[in-house]
Amino acid sequence: MGSFRDQAAIAGVGYTPFSKDSGVSTLTLAADAILAALDDAGLTLDQVDGLATHRVGDSTPPWVVAPALGVPEVSWYLDQFGGGSVSHSVVAQAAMAVAAGVAETVVCYRAINARSEFRMGGTGRAPAPIFDVQYQAPYGYFAPPQQFAMYARAHMNAYGTTHEQLGTIAVTQRANAVKNPRALKRDPITLDDYLASRWIAEPLRLLDCCLETDGACAVVVTSRERARDLRRPPVLVSGAAWGGGDSFFSGAGSGPSGSDFTVTEAARIAPRLYAMAGVGPQDIDVAELYDCFTYSVLVQLEDYGFCAKGEGGAYVESGATAIDGALPVNTHGGFLSEGYVHGINHIAEAVAQLRGDAGDRQVPGAEVALSTAQPGYVLAGTSALILRSDR
Amino acid sequence: MGTAQRPRPEVDRDSAPWWEAVRRHELTVQKCEGCGVLRFPARAVCNKCRSREWAWVPVRGTGTVYSWIVNHQVFMRSMADEVPFAVLAVRLDEGADMLMYGDLAEGDPAALRPGLPVEAVFTDVDEATTLVRWRERD
Repeated sequence: MGSFRDQAAIAGVGYTPFSKDSGVSTLTLAADAILAALDDAGLTLDQVDGLATHRVGDSTPPWVVAPALGVPEVSWYLDQFGGGSVSHSVVAQAAMAVAAGVAETVVCYRAINARSEFRMGGTGRAPAPIFDVQYQAPYGYFAPPQQFAMYARAHMNAYGTTHEQLGTIAVTQRANAVKNPRALKRDPITLDDYLASRWIAEPLRLLDCCLETDGACAVVVTSRERARDLRRPPVLVSGAAWGGGDSFFSGAGSGPSGSDFTVTEAARIAPRLYAMAGVGPQDIDVAELYDCFTYSVLVQLEDYGFCAKGEGGAYVESGATAIDGALPVNTHGGFLSEGYVHGINHIAEAVAQLRGDAGDRQVPGAEVALSTAQPGYVLAGTSALILRSDR
Repeated sequence: MGTAQRPRPEVDRDSAPWWEAVRRHELTVQKCEGCGVLRFPARAVCNKCRSREWAWVPVRGTGTVYSWIVNHQVFMRSMADEVPFAVLAVRLDEGADMLMYGDLAEGDPAALRPGLPVEAVFTDVDEATTLVRWRERD
Protein backbone atom coordinates (compact mmCIF):
# COMPACT_ATOMS: atom_id res chain seq x y z
CA MET A 1 0.00 0.00 0.00
CA GLY A 2 1.24 3.44 -0.85
CA SER A 3 2.04 5.87 1.91
CA PHE A 4 2.30 9.63 2.15
CA ARG A 5 4.48 9.46 5.24
CA ASP A 6 6.59 12.58 5.70
CA GLN A 7 5.64 13.96 2.28
CA ALA A 8 3.55 16.85 3.61
CA ALA A 9 4.27 19.29 6.39
CA ILE A 10 2.41 21.73 8.57
CA ALA A 11 4.06 25.05 7.87
CA GLY A 12 1.95 27.40 9.94
CA VAL A 13 -0.77 27.67 12.55
CA GLY A 14 -3.18 30.47 13.34
CA TYR A 15 -5.86 31.25 15.87
CA THR A 16 -8.54 33.73 16.62
CA PRO A 17 -9.02 34.61 20.27
CA PHE A 18 -11.19 32.09 22.13
CA SER A 19 -14.28 33.44 23.86
CA LYS A 20 -17.86 32.78 24.89
CA ASP A 21 -19.19 35.31 22.39
CA SER A 22 -17.11 36.22 19.37
CA GLY A 23 -19.66 38.70 18.10
CA VAL A 24 -18.73 37.81 14.52
CA SER A 25 -19.73 35.21 11.93
CA THR A 26 -18.01 31.89 11.44
CA LEU A 27 -16.87 33.24 8.07
CA THR A 28 -15.05 36.08 9.83
CA LEU A 29 -13.55 33.66 12.33
CA ALA A 30 -12.37 31.41 9.51
CA ALA A 31 -10.85 34.35 7.66
CA ASP A 32 -8.96 35.58 10.69
CA ALA A 33 -7.56 32.14 11.53
CA ILE A 34 -6.59 31.41 7.91
CA LEU A 35 -4.78 34.73 7.55
CA ALA A 36 -3.01 34.21 10.87
CA ALA A 37 -1.85 30.74 9.84
CA LEU A 38 -0.57 32.01 6.49
CA ASP A 39 1.26 34.83 8.22
CA ASP A 40 2.85 32.34 10.59
CA ALA A 41 4.05 30.32 7.60
CA GLY A 42 5.21 33.36 5.65
CA LEU A 43 2.73 32.73 2.84
CA THR A 44 -0.04 34.77 1.25
CA LEU A 45 -3.50 33.89 0.02
CA ASP A 46 -2.20 34.03 -3.56
CA GLN A 47 -0.18 30.92 -2.79
CA VAL A 48 -3.13 28.93 -1.47
CA ASP A 49 -4.79 26.43 -3.79
CA GLY A 50 -6.72 24.30 -1.31
CA LEU A 51 -9.13 24.77 1.58
CA ALA A 52 -10.51 22.15 3.92
CA THR A 53 -12.87 22.05 6.87
CA HIS A 54 -15.43 19.93 8.66
CA ARG A 55 -18.76 20.96 10.08
CA VAL A 56 -22.13 19.76 11.27
CA GLY A 57 -24.23 22.49 9.74
CA ASP A 58 -22.65 25.02 12.07
CA SER A 59 -19.98 26.77 10.03
CA THR A 60 -18.89 28.27 6.75
CA PRO A 61 -17.68 25.95 3.97
CA PRO A 62 -14.61 26.34 1.73
CA TRP A 63 -16.69 27.32 -1.27
CA VAL A 64 -17.87 30.38 0.64
CA VAL A 65 -14.56 31.16 2.31
CA ALA A 66 -12.49 31.00 -0.90
CA PRO A 67 -14.30 33.74 -2.85
CA ALA A 68 -14.85 35.78 0.32
CA LEU A 69 -11.08 35.92 0.81
CA GLY A 70 -10.22 36.18 -2.87
CA VAL A 71 -8.28 32.95 -3.22
CA PRO A 72 -7.31 33.07 -6.92
CA GLU A 73 -8.13 29.44 -7.71
CA VAL A 74 -9.01 26.46 -5.58
CA SER A 75 -7.73 23.20 -7.07
CA TRP A 76 -8.77 21.00 -4.14
CA TYR A 77 -11.23 21.44 -1.32
CA LEU A 78 -12.86 19.35 1.37
CA ASP A 79 -16.17 20.09 3.06
CA GLN A 80 -16.35 17.13 5.41
CA PHE A 81 -19.53 16.37 7.29
CA GLY A 82 -18.83 15.54 10.87
CA GLY A 83 -17.83 16.66 14.29
CA GLY A 84 -14.77 16.04 16.37
CA SER A 85 -14.30 12.50 15.13
CA VAL A 86 -13.33 13.68 11.65
CA SER A 87 -11.23 16.64 12.79
CA HIS A 88 -7.89 15.00 12.15
CA SER A 89 -8.93 13.36 8.90
CA VAL A 90 -9.31 16.85 7.41
CA VAL A 91 -5.60 17.55 7.86
CA ALA A 92 -4.76 13.98 6.87
CA GLN A 93 -6.67 14.32 3.62
CA ALA A 94 -5.01 17.67 2.94
CA ALA A 95 -1.62 16.00 3.40
CA MET A 96 -2.72 13.27 1.02
CA ALA A 97 -3.83 15.83 -1.56
CA VAL A 98 -0.45 17.56 -1.31
CA ALA A 99 1.39 14.25 -1.57
CA ALA A 100 -0.67 13.36 -4.64
CA GLY A 101 0.17 16.67 -6.25
CA VAL A 102 -3.47 17.74 -6.47
CA ALA A 103 -2.79 20.79 -4.36
CA GLU A 104 0.36 22.53 -3.24
CA THR A 105 -0.77 24.53 -0.22
CA VAL A 106 -3.94 23.74 1.66
CA VAL A 107 -5.28 25.67 4.63
CA CYS A 108 -7.36 23.54 7.00
CA TYR A 109 -9.63 25.43 9.35
CA ARG A 110 -12.42 24.98 11.84
CA ALA A 111 -14.51 27.98 12.79
CA ILE A 112 -17.31 27.72 15.32
CA ASN A 113 -19.42 29.83 17.58
CA ALA A 114 -20.01 26.83 19.79
CA ARG A 115 -21.18 28.92 22.72
CA SER A 116 -23.03 31.87 21.23
CA GLU A 117 -24.65 30.29 18.16
CA PHE A 118 -24.66 26.51 17.88
CA ARG A 119 -24.28 24.65 21.14
CA MET A 120 -23.60 20.96 20.60
CA GLY A 121 -26.74 19.15 21.65
CA GLY A 122 -27.64 22.22 23.60
CA THR A 123 -30.93 23.77 24.37
CA GLY A 124 -32.83 24.73 21.29
CA ARG A 125 -30.69 22.95 18.76
CA ALA A 126 -31.96 19.89 16.93
CA PRO A 127 -29.74 16.80 17.08
CA ALA A 128 -27.63 16.03 14.03
CA PRO A 129 -29.55 13.96 11.47
CA ILE A 130 -28.31 10.52 12.42
CA PHE A 131 -30.77 7.65 12.14
CA ASP A 132 -30.04 6.18 15.55
CA VAL A 133 -30.94 9.40 17.35
CA GLN A 134 -34.61 8.37 17.04
CA TYR A 135 -34.06 5.58 19.58
CA GLN A 136 -32.46 7.92 22.09
CA ALA A 137 -33.78 11.49 21.86
CA PRO A 138 -37.32 10.67 23.09
CA TYR A 139 -35.75 9.69 26.40
CA GLY A 140 -33.95 12.99 26.74
CA TYR A 141 -30.69 11.37 25.68
CA PHE A 142 -28.93 13.19 22.86
CA ALA A 143 -26.37 15.61 24.28
CA PRO A 144 -22.67 14.70 24.14
CA PRO A 145 -22.16 14.91 27.94
CA GLN A 146 -24.90 12.32 28.33
CA GLN A 147 -23.39 10.00 25.76
CA PHE A 148 -19.93 10.18 27.27
CA ALA A 149 -21.39 9.71 30.74
CA MET A 150 -22.94 6.47 29.48
CA TYR A 151 -19.57 5.28 28.15
CA ALA A 152 -17.72 6.37 31.29
CA ARG A 153 -20.18 4.44 33.46
CA ALA A 154 -19.60 1.32 31.38
CA HIS A 155 -15.86 1.73 31.96
CA MET A 156 -16.43 2.17 35.69
CA ASN A 157 -18.60 -0.94 35.70
CA ALA A 158 -16.05 -3.02 33.84
CA TYR A 159 -12.79 -1.82 35.38
CA GLY A 160 -13.55 0.01 38.60
CA THR A 161 -12.53 3.37 37.16
CA THR A 162 -13.17 6.08 39.76
CA HIS A 163 -14.42 9.65 39.88
CA GLU A 164 -11.06 10.65 41.32
CA GLN A 165 -9.29 9.22 38.29
CA LEU A 166 -11.47 11.23 35.93
CA GLY A 167 -10.89 14.26 38.14
CA THR A 168 -7.13 13.80 37.93
CA ILE A 169 -7.39 14.38 34.18
CA ALA A 170 -9.24 17.68 34.70
CA VAL A 171 -6.79 18.85 37.39
CA THR A 172 -3.71 17.87 35.37
CA GLN A 173 -4.88 19.66 32.26
CA ARG A 174 -5.80 22.79 34.18
CA ALA A 175 -2.26 22.93 35.50
CA ASN A 176 -1.08 23.08 31.89
CA ALA A 177 -3.58 25.78 30.99
CA VAL A 178 -2.21 27.96 33.77
CA LYS A 179 0.91 28.23 31.59
CA ASN A 180 -0.99 28.92 28.37
CA PRO A 181 -1.85 32.57 27.67
CA ARG A 182 -4.46 31.47 25.11
CA ALA A 183 -6.40 29.32 27.56
CA LEU A 184 -9.87 30.38 28.66
CA LYS A 185 -9.47 28.79 32.11
CA ARG A 186 -6.21 29.62 33.86
CA ASP A 187 -7.05 29.31 37.56
CA PRO A 188 -5.64 26.12 39.08
CA ILE A 189 -8.15 23.58 40.38
CA THR A 190 -7.83 20.78 42.93
CA LEU A 191 -9.40 17.37 43.09
CA ASP A 192 -11.72 18.73 45.79
CA ASP A 193 -12.84 21.48 43.39
CA TYR A 194 -13.54 18.78 40.84
CA LEU A 195 -15.52 16.63 43.25
CA ALA A 196 -17.53 19.67 44.37
CA SER A 197 -18.52 20.67 40.86
CA ARG A 198 -22.14 20.00 39.99
CA TRP A 199 -23.48 16.98 38.18
CA ILE A 200 -24.21 17.36 34.51
CA ALA A 201 -25.07 13.74 33.82
CA GLU A 202 -23.79 11.25 36.38
CA PRO A 203 -21.09 10.06 36.39
CA LEU A 204 -19.85 13.29 34.71
CA ARG A 205 -19.59 16.64 36.45
CA LEU A 206 -19.22 20.16 35.10
CA LEU A 207 -15.42 19.91 35.31
CA ASP A 208 -15.45 16.75 33.20
CA CYS A 209 -16.78 18.80 30.30
CA CYS A 210 -14.95 20.86 27.71
CA LEU A 211 -15.55 24.56 27.27
CA GLU A 212 -18.14 25.52 24.71
CA THR A 213 -16.09 28.04 22.77
CA ASP A 214 -16.36 30.63 20.04
CA GLY A 215 -13.23 30.64 17.96
CA ALA A 216 -11.29 29.35 15.01
CA CYS A 217 -7.98 27.72 14.32
CA ALA A 218 -6.20 26.97 11.06
CA VAL A 219 -3.15 25.04 9.93
CA VAL A 220 -1.26 25.32 6.63
CA VAL A 221 -0.36 22.04 4.92
CA THR A 222 2.18 22.05 2.12
CA SER A 223 4.92 19.88 0.69
CA ARG A 224 7.94 19.08 2.81
CA GLU A 225 10.19 20.72 0.24
CA ARG A 226 8.22 23.95 0.16
CA ALA A 227 7.88 23.99 3.94
CA ARG A 228 11.65 23.90 4.32
CA ASP A 229 11.90 27.22 2.51
CA LEU A 230 9.33 28.95 4.71
CA ARG A 231 9.48 31.01 7.86
CA ARG A 232 8.91 28.30 10.49
CA PRO A 233 10.42 24.86 11.11
CA PRO A 234 8.33 22.27 9.24
CA VAL A 235 6.35 19.69 11.17
CA LEU A 236 5.90 16.53 9.12
CA VAL A 237 2.69 14.58 8.78
CA SER A 238 4.35 11.28 9.51
CA GLY A 239 1.35 9.09 10.17
CA ALA A 240 -2.35 9.42 9.61
CA ALA A 241 -5.28 7.07 9.95
CA TRP A 242 -9.01 7.41 9.97
CA GLY A 243 -12.07 5.24 9.74
CA GLY A 244 -14.36 3.24 11.92
CA GLY A 245 -17.48 1.15 12.04
CA ASP A 246 -21.08 1.69 12.94
CA SER A 247 -22.94 3.11 15.87
CA PHE A 248 -24.67 1.00 18.51
CA PHE A 249 -25.63 -1.50 15.87
CA SER A 250 -25.77 -5.18 16.71
CA GLY A 251 -22.94 -7.24 15.30
CA ALA A 252 -21.10 -4.27 13.81
CA GLY A 253 -17.36 -4.76 13.74
CA SER A 254 -15.19 -4.94 16.80
CA GLY A 255 -15.23 -1.35 17.89
CA PRO A 256 -17.37 0.52 20.37
CA SER A 257 -20.40 -0.42 18.35
CA GLY A 258 -23.27 -2.22 19.93
CA SER A 259 -21.46 -4.46 22.25
CA ASP A 260 -18.70 -2.70 24.16
CA PHE A 261 -18.59 0.98 25.14
CA THR A 262 -15.16 0.59 26.74
CA VAL A 263 -13.28 0.10 23.46
CA THR A 264 -13.24 2.86 20.86
CA GLU A 265 -12.46 3.12 17.19
CA ALA A 266 -9.06 4.42 18.25
CA ALA A 267 -8.10 0.82 19.03
CA ARG A 268 -8.99 -0.09 15.45
CA ILE A 269 -7.02 2.66 13.71
CA ALA A 270 -4.00 2.74 16.06
CA PRO A 271 -2.12 -0.14 14.38
CA ARG A 272 -2.45 1.53 10.95
CA LEU A 273 -1.48 4.89 12.39
CA TYR A 274 1.69 3.64 14.06
CA ALA A 275 2.63 1.47 11.10
CA MET A 276 2.48 4.36 8.67
CA ALA A 277 4.70 6.52 10.88
CA GLY A 278 7.02 3.65 11.71
CA VAL A 279 6.78 4.34 15.44
CA GLY A 280 5.02 2.92 18.46
CA PRO A 281 3.45 4.33 21.61
CA GLN A 282 6.84 4.26 23.33
CA ASP A 283 8.12 6.80 20.77
CA ILE A 284 5.47 9.44 21.44
CA ASP A 285 6.93 12.44 23.29
CA VAL A 286 3.70 14.37 23.70
CA ALA A 287 0.05 13.43 23.13
CA GLU A 288 -2.83 15.77 22.46
CA LEU A 289 -5.82 13.50 23.06
CA TYR A 290 -9.33 14.60 22.17
CA ASP A 291 -10.89 15.69 25.42
CA CYS A 292 -14.47 16.66 24.84
CA PHE A 293 -14.78 15.02 28.28
CA THR A 294 -12.22 13.66 30.72
CA TYR A 295 -13.28 10.11 29.97
CA SER A 296 -12.30 10.30 26.31
CA VAL A 297 -8.69 10.94 27.38
CA LEU A 298 -8.72 7.94 29.69
CA VAL A 299 -10.05 5.52 27.10
CA GLN A 300 -7.65 6.75 24.42
CA LEU A 301 -4.65 6.19 26.68
CA GLU A 302 -5.69 2.55 26.58
CA ASP A 303 -6.70 2.35 22.95
CA TYR A 304 -3.57 4.04 21.60
CA GLY A 305 -1.50 1.58 23.61
CA PHE A 306 0.00 3.66 26.40
CA CYS A 307 -1.41 1.30 29.03
CA ALA A 308 -3.46 -1.87 29.08
CA LYS A 309 -7.24 -1.91 28.69
CA GLY A 310 -8.81 -0.99 32.01
CA GLU A 311 -5.67 0.67 33.38
CA GLY A 312 -6.27 4.19 32.09
CA GLY A 313 -7.41 5.38 35.49
CA ALA A 314 -4.34 4.09 37.29
CA TYR A 315 -2.14 5.49 34.53
CA VAL A 316 -3.38 9.06 34.99
CA GLU A 317 -3.22 8.74 38.79
CA SER A 318 0.44 7.77 38.48
CA GLY A 319 1.23 11.24 37.14
CA ALA A 320 2.39 9.88 33.80
CA THR A 321 0.28 12.35 31.84
CA ALA A 322 1.48 15.47 33.64
CA ILE A 323 3.65 17.95 31.75
CA ASP A 324 6.75 16.44 33.42
CA GLY A 325 5.50 12.86 33.23
CA ALA A 326 6.40 10.03 30.88
CA LEU A 327 3.67 11.07 28.45
CA PRO A 328 2.64 14.73 28.70
CA VAL A 329 -0.99 14.93 27.59
CA ASN A 330 -2.93 17.99 26.47
CA THR A 331 -0.10 20.35 27.17
CA HIS A 332 -2.21 23.42 26.29
CA GLY A 333 -4.92 22.46 28.76
CA GLY A 334 -7.01 20.79 26.11
CA PHE A 335 -10.63 21.46 25.33
CA LEU A 336 -11.28 21.25 29.06
CA SER A 337 -9.26 24.37 29.81
CA GLU A 338 -7.80 26.02 26.70
CA GLY A 339 -10.94 25.99 24.59
CA TYR A 340 -12.85 23.77 22.24
CA VAL A 341 -12.31 24.24 18.54
CA HIS A 342 -13.50 20.75 17.79
CA GLY A 343 -10.09 19.12 17.32
CA ILE A 344 -7.83 21.37 15.33
CA ASN A 345 -6.37 23.23 18.31
CA HIS A 346 -4.88 19.90 19.39
CA ILE A 347 -3.01 19.74 16.09
CA ALA A 348 -1.85 23.34 16.46
CA GLU A 349 -0.56 22.64 19.96
CA ALA A 350 1.31 19.56 18.76
CA VAL A 351 2.95 21.75 16.11
CA ALA A 352 3.97 24.29 18.75
CA GLN A 353 5.51 21.55 20.88
CA LEU A 354 7.44 20.09 17.93
CA ARG A 355 8.71 23.51 16.86
CA GLY A 356 9.86 24.14 20.41
CA ASP A 357 7.86 27.32 20.76
CA ALA A 358 5.29 26.28 23.37
CA GLY A 359 6.69 28.69 25.95
CA ASP A 360 6.28 27.84 29.62
CA ARG A 361 4.51 24.61 28.76
CA GLN A 362 7.18 23.32 26.36
CA VAL A 363 8.03 19.65 26.70
CA PRO A 364 11.83 19.64 26.35
CA GLY A 365 13.08 17.96 23.21
CA ALA A 366 9.68 16.87 21.91
CA GLU A 367 10.17 15.33 18.47
CA VAL A 368 7.18 13.04 17.93
CA ALA A 369 3.58 13.91 18.78
CA LEU A 370 0.27 12.11 18.64
CA SER A 371 -2.83 14.21 18.09
CA THR A 372 -6.24 12.60 18.04
CA ALA A 373 -9.89 13.13 17.22
CA GLN A 374 -13.00 12.15 19.13
CA PRO A 375 -12.40 8.44 19.49
CA GLY A 376 -15.38 7.15 17.59
CA TYR A 377 -18.40 7.45 19.76
CA VAL A 378 -21.43 9.21 18.34
CA LEU A 379 -20.48 9.11 14.65
CA ALA A 380 -18.56 5.87 15.03
CA GLY A 381 -15.30 6.74 13.34
CA THR A 382 -12.15 8.49 14.39
CA SER A 383 -8.96 9.99 13.01
CA ALA A 384 -5.49 10.74 14.28
CA LEU A 385 -2.13 12.11 13.22
CA ILE A 386 1.45 11.41 14.19
CA LEU A 387 3.54 14.50 13.63
CA ARG A 388 7.28 14.86 13.92
CA SER A 389 9.79 17.63 13.75
CA ASP A 390 11.88 17.82 10.57
CA ARG A 391 15.29 18.11 12.11
CA MET B 1 -44.69 13.60 34.50
CA GLY B 2 -43.98 15.47 31.34
CA THR B 3 -43.66 12.66 28.83
CA ALA B 4 -46.12 14.43 26.52
CA GLN B 5 -43.45 17.11 26.03
CA ARG B 6 -40.77 14.63 24.98
CA PRO B 7 -39.02 14.95 21.63
CA ARG B 8 -40.72 12.70 19.10
CA PRO B 9 -38.74 10.02 17.27
CA GLU B 10 -37.75 10.91 13.71
CA VAL B 11 -38.84 7.66 12.12
CA ASP B 12 -37.08 6.53 8.95
CA ARG B 13 -38.25 4.15 6.22
CA ASP B 14 -36.47 1.18 7.78
CA SER B 15 -37.64 1.79 11.32
CA ALA B 16 -41.30 2.61 10.70
CA PRO B 17 -42.52 -0.98 11.33
CA TRP B 18 -40.60 -1.09 14.62
CA TRP B 19 -42.29 2.06 15.87
CA GLU B 20 -45.68 0.77 14.66
CA ALA B 21 -45.15 -2.39 16.73
CA VAL B 22 -44.17 -0.32 19.74
CA ARG B 23 -47.41 1.57 19.27
CA ARG B 24 -49.18 -1.81 19.70
CA HIS B 25 -47.03 -2.38 22.83
CA GLU B 26 -45.02 -5.07 21.09
CA LEU B 27 -41.23 -5.15 21.18
CA THR B 28 -39.69 -6.59 18.03
CA VAL B 29 -36.35 -6.97 16.28
CA GLN B 30 -35.45 -8.05 12.77
CA LYS B 31 -34.52 -11.67 12.03
CA CYS B 32 -32.45 -12.17 8.89
CA GLU B 33 -34.08 -14.67 6.54
CA GLY B 34 -30.69 -15.46 5.10
CA CYS B 35 -28.65 -16.33 8.17
CA GLY B 36 -31.08 -16.12 11.07
CA VAL B 37 -29.19 -13.40 12.95
CA LEU B 38 -31.29 -11.02 15.06
CA ARG B 39 -30.57 -7.34 14.62
CA PHE B 40 -31.41 -3.92 16.00
CA PRO B 41 -31.74 -1.00 15.15
CA ALA B 42 -33.70 -1.38 11.94
CA ARG B 43 -31.80 -1.78 8.69
CA ALA B 44 -32.87 -3.21 5.33
CA VAL B 45 -29.73 -5.30 4.85
CA CYS B 46 -28.01 -7.87 7.04
CA ASN B 47 -24.45 -6.94 8.01
CA LYS B 48 -23.49 -10.62 8.22
CA CYS B 49 -24.82 -12.23 5.01
CA ARG B 50 -26.09 -9.07 3.24
CA SER B 51 -29.50 -10.60 2.68
CA ARG B 52 -32.29 -8.14 1.96
CA GLU B 53 -34.92 -10.49 3.37
CA TRP B 54 -36.02 -10.28 6.97
CA ALA B 55 -38.95 -10.78 9.31
CA TRP B 56 -39.98 -8.81 12.34
CA VAL B 57 -40.01 -11.16 15.32
CA PRO B 58 -41.17 -10.52 18.87
CA VAL B 59 -38.75 -10.40 21.77
CA ARG B 60 -39.75 -10.78 25.39
CA GLY B 61 -38.97 -7.22 26.38
CA THR B 62 -36.51 -8.32 29.01
CA GLY B 63 -32.87 -7.53 29.35
CA THR B 64 -30.10 -6.46 31.68
CA VAL B 65 -28.66 -3.05 32.43
CA TYR B 66 -25.34 -2.45 30.66
CA SER B 67 -24.80 1.21 31.51
CA TRP B 68 -26.80 4.21 32.62
CA ILE B 69 -26.67 7.91 33.40
CA VAL B 70 -28.53 10.10 35.83
CA ASN B 71 -29.14 13.33 33.98
CA HIS B 72 -29.23 16.58 35.94
CA GLN B 73 -28.60 19.28 33.36
CA VAL B 74 -31.63 20.67 31.52
CA PHE B 75 -30.55 20.18 27.90
CA MET B 76 -34.10 20.58 26.61
CA ARG B 77 -36.55 22.94 28.21
CA SER B 78 -39.47 20.66 27.50
CA MET B 79 -37.94 18.09 29.87
CA ALA B 80 -37.04 20.53 32.63
CA ASP B 81 -39.65 19.10 34.98
CA GLU B 82 -38.25 15.58 34.59
CA VAL B 83 -34.70 16.13 35.90
CA PRO B 84 -33.04 14.30 37.42
CA PHE B 85 -33.89 11.30 35.28
CA ALA B 86 -32.08 8.07 34.51
CA VAL B 87 -31.44 6.74 31.00
CA LEU B 88 -30.43 3.12 30.56
CA ALA B 89 -28.60 1.13 27.90
CA VAL B 90 -30.14 -2.34 28.07
CA ARG B 91 -28.81 -5.56 26.59
CA LEU B 92 -31.71 -7.68 25.34
CA ASP B 93 -31.95 -11.20 26.67
CA GLU B 94 -32.27 -12.49 23.09
CA GLY B 95 -28.84 -11.13 22.18
CA ALA B 96 -26.34 -9.17 24.25
CA ASP B 97 -25.21 -7.10 21.28
CA MET B 98 -28.71 -5.74 20.78
CA LEU B 99 -28.81 -2.57 22.84
CA MET B 100 -31.91 -0.56 23.49
CA TYR B 101 -32.05 2.79 25.22
CA GLY B 102 -34.81 4.15 27.37
CA ASP B 103 -35.43 6.01 30.56
CA LEU B 104 -36.14 4.44 33.93
CA ALA B 105 -39.93 4.46 34.10
CA GLU B 106 -40.13 3.75 37.82
CA GLY B 107 -37.79 2.97 40.68
CA ASP B 108 -34.76 4.57 42.30
CA PRO B 109 -31.78 5.37 40.04
CA ALA B 110 -29.54 4.69 43.04
CA ALA B 111 -30.55 1.02 42.83
CA LEU B 112 -29.21 0.66 39.28
CA ARG B 113 -26.27 -1.68 38.87
CA PRO B 114 -24.65 -3.50 35.97
CA GLY B 115 -26.54 -6.65 35.08
CA LEU B 116 -29.75 -5.60 36.81
CA PRO B 117 -32.66 -7.47 35.18
CA VAL B 118 -35.16 -5.06 33.63
CA GLU B 119 -38.32 -5.22 31.55
CA ALA B 120 -39.80 -2.94 28.94
CA VAL B 121 -42.66 -0.60 29.81
CA PHE B 122 -44.73 0.99 27.05
CA THR B 123 -45.86 4.56 27.60
CA ASP B 124 -48.31 6.20 25.22
CA VAL B 125 -47.27 9.83 25.10
CA ASP B 126 -49.98 10.94 22.66
CA GLU B 127 -52.37 9.50 20.06
CA ALA B 128 -49.49 8.72 17.69
CA THR B 129 -46.41 7.89 19.69
CA THR B 130 -45.49 5.22 22.19
CA LEU B 131 -42.11 5.03 23.88
CA VAL B 132 -40.24 2.04 25.32
CA ARG B 133 -39.06 2.62 28.87
CA TRP B 134 -37.61 0.26 31.46
CA ARG B 135 -38.11 -0.83 35.05
CA GLU B 136 -36.53 -3.39 37.35
CA ARG B 137 -37.83 -6.92 36.85
CA ASP B 138 -38.53 -9.22 39.79
